[in-house]
Amino acid sequence: MKSARLRSLAVTVVGAVPATVLGVLVAPAWGWALFAVVLLLQLLSGLRHLARLDEWSRHPSPAQTLEGAGVWDDIFARLHRHERELRALIARRDLDLRQVAAAGQAIVDGIVTLDADDRIGWCNRTAERQLGLDLRSDRSQPIANLVRQPAFVAYLAAGDFSRPLRLNAVRNEEQVLSIHILPYAGGERLMQVRDVTQSERLDRMRRDFVANVSHELRTPLTVLSGFLETVRELPLEPDERDRYLALMAEQSDRMQRIVQDLLTLSTLESSPPPPENARVGMADLLDKLRRDAEALSAGRHEITLAADAGDLFGAEPELASAFGNLLSNAVRYTPAGGHIAIAWKRIGSSAEFSVADDGPGIAPEHIPRLTERFYRADLGRSRETGGTGLGLAIVKHALSRHQARLDVASAPGRGSRFSALFPPARLTA
Amino acid sequence: MSESVHVSRQFDEDLGVLRTHVLEMGGLVEAQVSAAIEAYASGEIITVKDIVEGDHRVNKFEKVIDDETIHVVARRQPTASDLRLVMGVNKIVTDLERIGDEAKKIAKGARRVHEQGMLNVPRATDVRHVAEEAVAMLRQALDSFARLDVALADAVIHADAKVDAEFKAIVRQLITYMMEDPRTISTAIDIVWIGRSIERIGDHAKNIAEHVIYIAEGRDIRHTGKEA
Repeated sequence: MKSARLRSLAVTVVGAVPATVLGVLVAPAWGWALFAVVLLLQLLSGLRHLARLDEWSRHPSPAQTLEGAGVWDDIFARLHRHERELRALIARRDLDLRQVAAAGQAIVDGIVTLDADDRIGWCNRTAERQLGLDLRSDRSQPIANLVRQPAFVAYLAAGDFSRPLRLNAVRNEEQVLSIHILPYAGGERLMQVRDVTQSERLDRMRRDFVANVSHELRTPLTVLSGFLETVRELPLEPDERDRYLALMAEQSDRMQRIVQDLLTLSTLESSPPPPENARVGMADLLDKLRRDAEALSAGRHEITLAADAGDLFGAEPELASAFGNLLSNAVRYTPAGGHIAIAWKRIGSSAEFSVADDGPGIAPEHIPRLTERFYRADLGRSRETGGTGLGLAIVKHALSRHQARLDVASAPGRGSRFSALFPPARLTA
Repeated sequence: MSESVHVSRQFDEDLGVLRTHVLEMGGLVEAQVSAAIEAYASGEIITVKDIVEGDHRVNKFEKVIDDETIHVVARRQPTASDLRLVMGVNKIVTDLERIGDEAKKIAKGARRVHEQGMLNVPRATDVRHVAEEAVAMLRQALDSFARLDVALADAVIHADAKVDAEFKAIVRQLITYMMEDPRTISTAIDIVWIGRSIERIGDHAKNIAEHVIYIAEGRDIRHTGKEA
């Protein structure tokens, strides 16, 4: 600043010296004229630089050169550098901001920032989806204007955020959200929206399961204790007594089967994955299963077996229990005189085990739920044929441990076909 | 100078509070309608009592917001778009209150239907489908008010024709059941009433969307026929 002033003063002084000399030697008028010319030139140079600065300042950019002579050059260089540094700083901040925003987007949960008046500051795409927001139009809109469920509005108004709020998403009926609000940076708040649909469903399944187990065990237990009382309190004829004892044995068998199936399931869940190098002789296994099925059928069905797909690698007891369950289901649900076809066939490089019957079939609404524990398509008949309601759950589990998936194709009146496709890795060459 | 800035900020805040209250009332009404439909669809009619009580809250909201609009008009003498907002809010609140009444009717109808031991009338699930559409219309109408989104409001206005058509289809279907089996008549009539309420909810949602367009653009498109 100071040096610039000194330098422009120096230029004037340097111009004044020859003007004084000329004025003294020739005539004062000539001296003044020269001085005026020097001043005029200086003014012109100043105006030219001013115009250049004016031009540049309309679109200041480091790419645009800004050069001048003498005093101006220093000023211009400083301006130019300042602009360049400012740009670099802004670019760095932009990058930081973008990274923070990208981190916000990467978070699995929905994130919304709210100001002191609960207006939306920023939110990520997950939150947009969960709450039906659109950041482009909804910035600085009070969040309660868009998330209008009374439970949420009351939660926000109460201001007690020590517990999360559980909310059913309006825009997607099935979704359950858990909302946390955390204060940060003064009056700002961070709203975290977590999708808890899955854990909610698991919770419900667990509750249902416990309720079902209790129910399934209580039913035979009630029958059992009823008969016990009868046998103990009433004088009975020996054959009547035998009949009651037989019924009691039947119920205790039933309870035993349920407990056995539950234990099998829990073993399947907790044991290590089935071995990949233990060979299971399918010919022998299937032959034995067919004989078991024929014994259960007692000649009421025609059972055929077609097996030509080689051997499997896996855990023999699990596979035997899975296949055996499918077969005994077919025998128990197919009326006398029906056909049951067991097949073990190559399909491309995979192999498929299937059991097909021409029984009554299954209505489509039951099919997706068949493998749920204790799910019964036909309540009365399933119990009377001695099912525990756990068979297909065991089948599904045992098969999935061998990377095979249970498929059910069935329609009422058209029979049923249960099949499992094993991947090449589980098959012998 | 500073005084007038202060006053206009206060005014903006008043209008903001008005909008937020309308949307809060809207949220309550949305919840009422959803709960009523759920009671009908699931047969869990214990919630009917809550819905009937909830309607008192809706009515109270209407009175509070009416008071607020009167105060804003009296104290601030709004003009132009502010005046349109205040007048629009006044009408939207009326529609919301009516939707609340319809929700109450649906809930009570659901109770009657289920107490008679219903669902000997097949295809009553269609009602649920059209109800979900009406609820979606209401939600979108309120969204369009919150964002002053004219395109969305237009979409709501067009969706109303579909709800109307589906309601007519349900009525036709129920008439055939009633002719085939007169024992279904009383249940079928209750279902028709429920359908009618749903259809009215669609109409009110459409009205709200029309008010939104009026607020946003100053265009009055009521009673102008199909093109909106």
